[in-house]
Formats: sequence, structure tokens, C-alpha cells
Amino acid sequence: MRLLAVGVDHRSAPAGVREALAFDEPKYTRGLEALAQTFPGNELVILSTCNRVEIYLAGSPESVPDAEALGDFLGDFHGIRSELFAGHLVNYHDEGAVGHLFRVAASLESLVLGEGQILGQVREAYRAAVERKTIGPVFHTVFQTALRVGKTVRERTGMNQGKVSVASVAVDLAREVFDTFADKTVLVIGAGKMGDLTLQHLKALNPGRILVTNRNPERAEAAATRWNAQVVPFDRLGQALIEADLVVSTTAAAEPVVGFDQYVRVQRARRNRLSLILDIAIPRDFDPRIGDLDQVTLYHVDDLRAQADQNRLRRQKGVDPALLIIERETAACCALVRHQQAAGALLQQLGNHADQLRQRELTALFATHPNLSEADREAIAHMAMRLQNQFLHHPRAAVRSAVTESHDDHPHPILSAVRHLFGLGDYPPPSSLKKTT
Amino acid sequence: MDRLKVLCFAGTYGLALVCELARLVVRSSFRWYLTVGLTSLGWLVQTVYLANLALKDQVFLPVTTAFESVMVLAWIVAFIGLYFMLHWPRQVAVGIFVLPLVLGLVVVAGWFVPRESDWLEEGMMAFWGTVHGIFLLGGAVCTCVAFAAGLMYLAQMRRLKSKRPARLGLTLPSLEQSERVNRGAITIAFPLLTFGLLIGMILSVKTRSLGPEMAFTLSWTDPKVVSALGMWLVFAALLHARFRPALRGRSVMVLTIVAFAFLVFTWIGIEALRLPTAHGAARTAGGRP
Repeated sequence: MRLLAVGVDHRSAPAGVREALAFDEPKYTRGLEALAQTFPGNELVILSTCNRVEIYLAGSPESVPDAEALGDFLGDFHGIRSELFAGHLVNYHDEGAVGHLFRVAASLESLVLGEGQILGQVREAYRAAVERKTIGPVFHTVFQTALRVGKTVRERTGMNQGKVSVASVAVDLAREVFDTFADKTVLVIGAGKMGDLTLQHLKALNPGRILVTNRNPERAEAAATRWNAQVVPFDRLGQALIEADLVVSTTAAAEPVVGFDQYVRVQRARRNRLSLILDIAIPRDFDPRIGDLDQVTLYHVDDLRAQADQNRLRRQKGVDPALLIIERETAACCALVRHQQAAGALLQQLGNHADQLRQRELTALFATHPNLSEADREAIAHMAMRLQNQFLHHPRAAVRSAVTESHDDHPHPILSAVRHLFGLGDYPPPSSLKKTT
Repeated sequence: MDRLKVLCFAGTYGLALVCELARLVVRSSFRWYLTVGLTSLGWLVQTVYLANLALKDQVFLPVTTAFESVMVLAWIVAFIGLYFMLHWPRQVAVGIFVLPLVLGLVVVAGWFVPRESDWLEEGMMAFWGTVHGIFLLGGAVCTCVAFAAGLMYLAQMRRLKSKRPARLGLTLPSLEQSERVNRGAITIAFPLLTFGLLIGMILSVKTRSLGPEMAFTLSWTDPKVVSALGMWLVFAALLHARFRPALRGRSVMVLTIVAFAFLVFTWIGIEALRLPTAHGAARTAGGRP
């Protein structure tokens, strides 16, 4: 048994190469079909995301191609010369391929460490391969384990906790202040790029109303159209602040737009309801003393950035424990695959051996009783088959359960016992899953 | 032997609390199941214990002594805590705030609060006495819930003001959520406490009118009466704060903690300190004033 993973990712290849090799939706099914035709007898999965394009193969040593052949396939399929991307291709073999997939699922190979999207993308790739029947027992085991490992790593290392971009930290903050958003009003002051990005994230919370105000009415109008929001004239900023629960401020004003005394009055008019102010402007739009007011949470862009940095550092600390989990799980998964292969071979050998015995005895019986009718012969053959299946039922079940109970590289005693009891000969040399990258 | 029984569920709640605290270091969904499982087990054992007390006293709800009423209070608070553990996302550290409260109430009831009471009244007086007790018990449950929500609010607000990222494993409910639970609990607690105290006052006046030969009459200077009045005033202030925008948020939460302190002193402190009171449930503790 051999495993191979070949592809490009954000580390090995620039975006242009990744885009050229991507298997986006119209190409995905055709790609899987073409792969199955070009490399028959292999289990195949294609993982194609914005940051990586990878092909996973598993099969017998004879059927699994080398990385160069896969590179040629990619070039032919996408209609680009393989020299253009060959230098960016990375390949992993056997245990290395399993470990790589686990690291990908655990988001250790992602552009943003600990991001949650990749686990869903691995699940989707696996599901697509199952649907198109390009997957077999090896990748069922490997991909199901990868999904479990991805989840375990996130749970145990807390790697998915705390956002690492300023805009997503802002969304987390909003969730820590407010419970529901359908009854909330968001006010955007100014129309900076950062404000746009933050609002894009906040929009996912489905706020009840979005108000936009800007000194330049045309820019306010443009932003309002973009966000399906309501424009408020800048001279009515005080009233808009009273209505707003969440304020995103991003003006280019040299002086604070909202002073302390003004916001005290606003907060009084708001009947001291909870408010969250995200001051993304440099210099500040809101007097920092406003943050000391009861029921008011004021975050400046530097606070958001510092929190994102701390979260990134925290995720980084989870890498070593994650790698330990992955190393352990990779070894266990490869051992399981080896045991499954050995058990599969044994079951096949056992079946063939029993078939041979049955056929030999039936031939001998029919030779000594030539007068038997066709119906009698069929009945006797059927009875022999049922007898064989009933005799082999428990040994087969025992071999299957022994696979799940095997914990190391040595074959389970039941496998050796079945070989010995049924005279199937010595244990064949184990199939190798080398640790090569 | 009886304390051993109390120790059974107190110990289970204690283990549940240890599991809940382990959320700071252990990040596994198994820990959550263990915490909820242990809390449920503790609650079930306590239910059996209270059912046994009810059978023994031939009552529906065992609230005739200070010990029993604090035990029932802990039992209801544990149930509400369990509800929130299951209802809110698993990451939210409800148990860290509720389980110490439950454990504290059980331990105080089991080891510091007197278990006997020479409750003499019968007939209508006994009926209204029970109604008085149940109203106050309902008020106390709401106060405990408001207290836990208040603590959650203050912890979350403190963290947000400090601008530190949330500690791993220690997710708190949003400020709005804590505020809503706190407000709801206070709104329900106030009428319950008011009616409970009013019934208590009427009962006291009625007893007084029966003549000086009645052994146990409550005076206005009785520590239980003074403390209960103080508690009611804090609750009135809390309710008033709901209509005074300036008093929203932190001030309300601090007042909730003060109200809880009054409740603990009125209900448990006086009993535990053996202060002289002529109040029904604690007469034998302090004797006549």
C-alpha cells in the first residue's frame, strides 16, 4: 500500500499558480473523473481551496504514480505547461502524506493559524469523493481520522479561540456586549477602508438597522448603497449616536469628533443602555474618557490590534501540543490502515481457500454420482456454500474486530491464529507506509 | 449520619465545581459532560434527600426549619444553574458562578444552621406561615439568580474595560444577557419578598393580638425583622434603579450583591450566629429576645 499527496499551497506557490491549478466547481467533477481514468485502481481525493490545491492518492505500489506523473496530469488537465509550476509542487508519501493531511485539517498549514474553514473544506472534499465513488477503505479511515484530529486539536489547544484580524476581533467584541442584534442599530461615522471591512464582518450579525453619516454626503450615500443602510446628515450626529447601540467610527478628522461631555449627554438620552464604540480612526474620533463611562465599551483600533496580536500569539503556543497530537494520531492511523490491509488480505485468502475446498469436494461428489439431476446439483452446491459461510462467519467477525483492537505494529494474535488454524501459511511481510516527505 | 447524607451531594457538587474549574486547563467536551453529569447527580441525590425529609414531616415542601429552607433554596438554585448549563453554549462558564453558591448554601445549611424549630402554630396560622415561607423562598431564589448574573456582568465588564482578550476556557455571557437575567430576577423577587414580608408582619401582629401569654412574639427590634426590612429597602432601591437610567449597569449589579448579602444575613447569618430572635424558624436558636 502506498499513499501520495501532491499539490501546491500558499507557502510553496504564488496565488497565480494556485489559481491556475485550482479545481473550482465546474472543473472539480471532471478532474476527479479524469484522475480516476488516468490512474485507475487508486483511491482519490482532491482538496482545492483558495490557499491550496492538493491531490491525495492511495493504492498498491504498482498503481500509485510518482509525483512527476501527477504533475504532468495537472498540466494536461488545466492546459498549462508543467515547467511553469513544477518547481512549486510539494509531495508527501505514505505516513508523511497522512501527517500532512492531519496538519492541514488542524489548520496548522493554513495562512491564518487556527482558522476554522479548512476543516469544513476537508470534509467537503471527502464527501465529494465518497459521492463520486473515488474513495475506498484506506481513505475512509484516513479522512475520517483527519476530521476527528482537526476537531480534537482545536478543542484541546484552544487554537480556534480568539480572532486574529482586527475586523473579526470587533465582531467577537460585539458578541460579548450584545446578545441579540436584530433589535440593534449600527452607526458608521466616516467611510474609511477599515470601517468598510469591519462593517462587512458586522453585517454577518444581521443588525436591525445600519446608519451611515459622513461630512461628505456623496460618500455617505455611496456607503449607504453598498451596505443597504440609511444616511444620516452629519449635523444630526448627536441624534444618530442616541439611536445607535454599536458605533464604528473611521473619519480622518484631526480632532475628536465626539467629546466626553457630549457623549455623557448622549448616554443620558439613551437611558444608559449598553453601547459599544469601535473607534478605528487615527487620530481618535472619540475622547478616550468615554470608555470609563458605565455601560459604555470603547475600543480604539490599537486595542483591537493588540487583542488580535495576543490571540495570534496564543494560537502559536498551541502549535507544539497540536503537533504532538498529530504525531500520535498519524502513527495510530497508519497502524490501523496496515492492520486493515492485513486483515483484508487474510479474509480474501480465507475465502479463496474455502472456495477451493468447496469446489474440490463438489467436483469429487458430482464425479462419483453422475446421475444427479441439475436441480439436485444446484441444491447441494447451495447447501455447501451456506455451510461454508456459516463456518466462516465467526472467524471473519473475529478478524474484523481484531483490526479495531490492534494498537501497535504487531499483528493481532487472532490474525495469526486464523492463519494457523486454517493452514493459510506464514504471515506475509507487512506493507510499508514509510515516513517520507 | 444526617451530615454524611448531606456530604454525599455536597461532595458531588464539589466535584462538579472542580470539573468546572478545570475548564481553564482542560479543553475537552468530555469535561463539560462530566460537570453536567456530576451536577445532575448531586441534584438528584439532594432531591431524594429532600423528598425523604418531606415524607418524614408529612409536608409537600420541607421548609419548616431554617436548615430545610436553605437546603430547598440550594436545590432550586442548582436546578436553575443546571438549566443554564444546558441552555447556554457549553463555553459559557455558568458553573463557576452557580456551583460555589449552591455548595456554599448546602455547607452552611448542613453545618451552621439549626435544624430544629418549635413551630407551634396550627390551622390557618400554620397555613399562612407556610405561604410566608414559600414567598420568601421564591424571593431568595430570584435573589441568588440575580446575584450570580450580577457577578457575571461585573466580571465581563471588568475584562472588557481592561481590554484583555478572554481567558481560554472562561467565556462569559454577554453583558446584555447577564443584565437581562439580573433584571428579570429582581423584577420577580421584589413582589415575592414584599408579599412574603407582609404576610409575616400580619402573622406577627395577629400573634401579638392573641395576648401576652403567647410565648413568641416578634418585636420591631428583632434582628430578623430589622435585617429583612433592610433587605426589602435594598430591593426597593433596585427596582427604583430600573426606572432611573443613571443607575443602570454597574450600580445595579453592586446593589444586587448588597441585596444578596442582606438575604444571606437575614436567612442564614442570624441563625448561624445564634442571634436572639423570636422568628418562627429560628426560635430555638436564639431563644426569646
